Amino acid sequence: MEPQRAMSERQSDAGLIAACQRGDREAFRLLFEAHKDRVYSVALYFFGGDDAQAADITQQVFLKLFTKIAQFRSESEFTTWLHRLTTNACVDERRKVRRLTQLDETAGPQFVAAAGGQEERYARREVAERITEAVAELKPKLRVVVLLKYFEGLSYEEMAQALGCSKGTVASRLNRGHAMLARRLGHLRSLLVQGD
Amino acid sequence: MFRQHVSQLLSAYCQDELAPDEARRVAEHLLVCPRCRGKYEEIKLGVALLNELPAATAPASVWAGIEAALAQDGARQATPVRAARRRFPLFATWPRVAAVSFASLLVAALVGGWLYLRPPAAAWDVARLAGTPRIGAERIGQRGRLAVGEWLETDDKSRAQISVARIGQVEVEPQTRVRLVETRATEHRLELARGTLHARIYAPPRLFFVNTPSAVAADLGCAYTLEVDDAGRSLLHVTAGWVALERGTRESVVPAGAACATVPGTGPGTPYFEDAADSFLDALTAFDFKQGGDAALDTILAEARTRDTLTLWHLLARVDGARRVRVYERLAELSPPPVGVTRDGVLRLDEPMLQLWKGNLQDKWLHESFPTVRKAWRKLWQ
Repeated sequence: MEPQRAMSERQSDAGLIAACQRGDREAFRLLFEAHKDRVYSVALYFFGGDDAQAADITQQVFLKLFTKIAQFRSESEFTTWLHRLTTNACVDERRKVRRLTQLDETAGPQFVAAAGGQEERYARREVAERITEAVAELKPKLRVVVLLKYFEGLSYEEMAQALGCSKGTVASRLNRGHAMLARRLGHLRSLLVQGD
Repeated sequence: MFRQHVSQLLSAYCQDELAPDEARRVAEHLLVCPRCRGKYEEIKLGVALLNELPAATAPASVWAGIEAALAQDGARQATPVRAARRRFPLFATWPRVAAVSFASLLVAALVGGWLYLRPPAAAWDVARLAGTPRIGAERIGQRGRLAVGEWLETDDKSRAQISVARIGQVEVEPQTRVRLVETRATEHRLELARGTLHARIYAPPRLFFVNTPSAVAADLGCAYTLEVDDAGRSLLHVTAGWVALERGTRESVVPAGAACATVPGTGPGTPYFEDAADSFLDALTAFDFKQGGDAALDTILAEARTRDTLTLWHLLARVDGARRVRVYERLAELSPPPVGVTRDGVLRLDEPMLQLWKGNLQDKWLHESFPTVRKAWRKLWQ
């Protein structure tokens, strides 16, 4: 995560956390608002676009976070704690269910409407759905680093802390994830690269 | 060189996670190693694919569920989670002013973060340097914005500077017509229909491209001048780093101090150093674009200096049979192949051997000289 962003988030999070620890309900809601979409996005793509599963995971993560927030010590990084809760919730849920959620025709991420004409929007949605499917088929440990990188914007160092592994392991997993997606979805290259 | 492949570092390289020295080592290795360049293209595609995934918005029902679970204090709320069953002392009231203050701080932080982190805009800043440049039909004042699909045009008295996302600048000379084709995290692309631009790019290789009517210039970390005439012919002159000119499978890799011409229908010619002899340049033009044949090749081989191994190395893959043997022999005479590179391997265009020899030759190519680009242009086209 870039230094300026990280610093401003840390400062705002610190105030909100302190308020939460004092029992401020509004601060609680603001903390949720600040982080909910990223937690939800990670869960959504972890479970192949299953929005119900993603909503459940998001609830679980924040309830766990709020019930334990009194125990949170400011010397550790709040976002690291949150990412750990998120990834653990995803992995635990997957273990419990013991299957990958299948996309059906009606389920799927609630994609933000893309700019451009109807045909372009349809094409972008198609591409996003193929990528979502491919991400869901990555091994969980590869999927987690990919999602933390692209939806939480974490640096390799931050991911290493959240996942309890080395930066080298993070780099290696991302490398494998990128390469696997490229091999699986190479046919989409022409839809991404224009102007050749 | 090939014992130090960098494929394991490529995601970190693409995502700016390497220390400067390490990033430079990776960039230099990519210039000379086709295997790692292939891997790099693969990783870059993976990055581009993931950038296509839109962020999702958590539905309002998530907060409603949390609030309900907390309000119930876990007593009757079996779902969705057990964690809410504990006593949760969050509902003590606080002065409203505190909440408003926190909200303000949060908004300020989010806005600040957004301003810093916002993705490359789909439009680039343009500054007027002289005269009255136009974007579309509109004259720009001191500054303007060039959106994807729009043309920037200068007349015979105007000049402009384009800020290329956050990775560099392009100066647009008079009588130039240039269009923004694409701008995204993994690719920025201009089209130069005619005229002259000077690009200075500070980014990993193959992030910035310029389409011309006869080839694509791919930045490999560099500064260069690119000209396109009314017939669609172009001339690339590199002043720092490297640039690749590509069309289909034909590629010319051009270092600082060298130039390369392209012609519609033919693609990139053979790169050359601009301080080469006039007779050498004339012969190369004839060989590349005017069917100069053996007579032109005779002159090229006879006039080639050690530094012109840049030209000879590229010619190896562009000629065959007896001509390739002649080019090989002259190249070997000027700079004997290193250990691991054999005559047979080169003559059958063994790619690792060609790259190994090229890596060995590069030291001879990197002594820059600065003849004017105009001289080379005249030699080639008049």
